[in-house]
Amino acid sequence: MNSAANNRLGSHLVLGLATILTLFPLFWTFTTAFTPNELVLSQPIRFWPEHPTLENFRIAFERHPVGLWMLNACIVAIAVTLGKLVIALPAAYAFARMEFRGRNAMFWIVVATLTIPSVIGIVPTFIAIVKVGLYDTLAGVIIPSIAYVGFYIFYLRQNFKSLPSEMFDAARIDGAGVLGQFWTIAIPNVLPAIAAVSMLSFLGAWNIYFWSLLVLESPQNKTITIGIKAFSDVEAANQLWGPLMATALVGIAPILIIFLFAQRSMLEAVAPGSGGKG
Amino acid sequence: MDVSDPPSGPAMARDGADSAWRERCKALWRAIVPYIFVAPALLFVGVFLYLPIAFSAGLSFSDWNFVRPEAHWVGLENYRIVLSDPSFHAAALNTLVYTLILAPLQIVVPLLLARLLAGLGRSRMGDFYKSALFLPTIVSFSIAGASWLWIFNSINGFLNAVLRLVGMDGLRWLESPDLAIWSVSTVVFWKASGLNMILYLAALTAIPRELIEASRLDAAGPWRRLWQIEVPLISPTIFFVMITTVMSVMDDIVGVVGVMTDGGPVDATTNLLYYLYQKGMQFFQFGHASAVAIIIAAIVGLITWLQFRFMERQVHYE
Repeated sequence: MNSAANNRLGSHLVLGLATILTLFPLFWTFTTAFTPNELVLSQPIRFWPEHPTLENFRIAFERHPVGLWMLNACIVAIAVTLGKLVIALPAAYAFARMEFRGRNAMFWIVVATLTIPSVIGIVPTFIAIVKVGLYDTLAGVIIPSIAYVGFYIFYLRQNFKSLPSEMFDAARIDGAGVLGQFWTIAIPNVLPAIAAVSMLSFLGAWNIYFWSLLVLESPQNKTITIGIKAFSDVEAANQLWGPLMATALVGIAPILIIFLFAQRSMLEAVAPGSGGKG
Repeated sequence: MDVSDPPSGPAMARDGADSAWRERCKALWRAIVPYIFVAPALLFVGVFLYLPIAFSAGLSFSDWNFVRPEAHWVGLENYRIVLSDPSFHAAALNTLVYTLILAPLQIVVPLLLARLLAGLGRSRMGDFYKSALFLPTIVSFSIAGASWLWIFNSINGFLNAVLRLVGMDGLRWLESPDLAIWSVSTVVFWKASGLNMILYLAALTAIPRELIEASRLDAAGPWRRLWQIEVPLISPTIFFVMITTVMSVMDDIVGVVGVMTDGGPVDATTNLLYYLYQKGMQFFQFGHASAVAIIIAAIVGLITWLQFRFMERQVHYE
């Protein structure tokens, strides 16, 4: 009994230390963002903003189009998520509940994309985007990104598969066609799964980095993830750490809010059993 | 049966013809609707994932670029140039070093943390630790890079401020060629371990309680229990984590390096993917970049194949 209590104490010590180390960089970003930049530079160690100010945010938004970067990131994240849902939902449903020739082969063609390193095709995709005039546009980031649906189709298929057949039989007897069954029976019954993949997709698209870096060039077209690179390339040399951390905080805020509200279903989608009841 | 048939027969027969036609339409519709459902997904995957791979392979044997519109077959010339470029050597060596530093850490440390979390069961503190440790996973690499850039800053950064406080000299965390690769690795480790931890935690909590209780009767200590009972039981998850970690390490580094070091100082923190970005997109040498892409794909494929070959025997599937 005593050793069990010791084990518990030890677990709390190790996990507590790991948690502090993990959260510290985010906490430091937060503290710096609200501290006047002169203080940031003159007193490097302070654990709470003594003279809290929004000055850093003002400077950041004045010197760089941070607001536009946020708007662009929102557009990209929402468009990619909707695009993925529109192509993944019917495909996942067909793979789960319809019989047709070539079903398994097609399913594996889609799921095998999970194992392809995305870099292989990056040069031809980039050239194609330039040729069709989508260079330096959000559409140029959005459209190719929609193709990474392997996981979403796999996960939604599992969920469609787990619905009881009786549900669909009853609808068929009531005269519901294929589309009717898909729209009124299948979709409403997998809404939690749809919510989970939507949030994962939103986070994924919010954080797209490499591809946006290639495609988006003008300052006003950038998303926040590559905007912050532009920001730090210029302003780190100017010692504008306060405004840089303010920009980082602005970029983290939306995903942090989504995570706080929806972590359970997100973790459940990534690793079934880890989020819900243990 | 055709609807334009003149309505000659008795009404009953016409109804029969109509409904047979309708049946046939329905059957046809039912036969093609699955393909309509999967077509958009196949189209996107084909056009944006499979087709570019084929084109990459082609480009890697040609001298095509924006300046020279016609493409010429140059054989293995691009590969020869790339393979003899000192920056490529540095990138390849760094990729190996990154993998040797990060893969073991990201495979083992999250397992230990997940074990401790599983031991706490469902509790308020357990949930808090879990969320906190997972949190960096959702922050984008470039934003994480910016936050750490400030911590590592050699003039006013937190780390050097602490070192000076205890009377030591500050270190050049990102400017020193020997230290920079460790600093970048720290950020990638911080950022990427939470996901593996969650995967392990899910696997550990799925182990049937009876197995654990049986082991308790044998008075196995917690670490022996982890090693002898739980690790074999969750070996499919460990295998999955190993494969995804080795593949993602290369990807992960780019976002961090892009903001923190730009691959420098003097190629000290670059890796193959960042080299590809510089070749293709800063210098528009598409042939070279494609050759690098194919080389990366071959390496990743080889490593994955080796892992399957040597690990699958150790993995216990139910």
